[in-house]
Amino acid sequence: MAFAWKTAGISYLQYAQICARAVRNALKEEQRVIAQRRDEQGLKFAKWEAGKQGEVKNVEFLRSE
Amino acid sequence: MNILARTVRAATFASGKPLASVRFYAQEATAPSNILRLNFALPHQTLYRNVDVQQVNLSSTSGDMGILANHVPSIEQLRPGVIEIIENPNTTQKYFVSGGFAIVHPNSSLDINAIEAFSLDDFSIESIKTNLAEAQRIAASSASEEEKAVASIEAEVYENLQKALTKSA
Repeated sequence: MAFAWKTAGISYLQYAQICARAVRNALKEEQRVIAQRRDEQGLKFAKWEAGKQGEVKNVEFLRSE
Repeated sequence: MNILARTVRAATFASGKPLASVRFYAQEATAPSNILRLNFALPHQTLYRNVDVQQVNLSSTSGDMGILANHVPSIEQLRPGVIEIIENPNTTQKYFVSGGFAIVHPNSSLDINAIEAFSLDDFSIESIKTNLAEAQRIAASSASEEEKAVASIEAEVYENLQKALTKSA
């Protein structure tokens, strides 16, 4: 019961991220605008081979709609 | 030289005790301190850094707890909820945290890490209500299991927020 999200296949990091986003969405307008900028984060990677950059891929680990 | 030695001896035995033992009673022996040292940090901001406080009340996955000085060392996973920091008998600060960890160290220091923490005044009761209704709608709908799980996490956050705000009002 305590960790219903865990059985749904959500990791702790994802859970923490969802909670943080919910808290940001509940703020008053002026704080919300500032806080929501912190929500935008991403990671992309590219493999370099023989001095040339390969295809750039986005890592969608921390989903942000 | 002889005279000096004799004066010292006279002084020593005047009180009936050797001088050395009279002087070196430890007056600064560490009495158990009643001060809790608090560190409270977010990824983007430090709210408390080595601040002496009286008590911290928080809600963890193992239950609500109040932490005073000399608390048993432990690590607690925080639930989305209120952290109440009693700095002194007259000043109490309340924050709503989204989740994180509290670490109680053996030397009466407490570290709290959270992702988001805001004072209760920063929340808008209207957006909590609309977000809660939306999250509950999704959780009860025929969305995918994962979407429903996300929505029920959000619903819990908003419910806790609502409780925290109505209690303080």
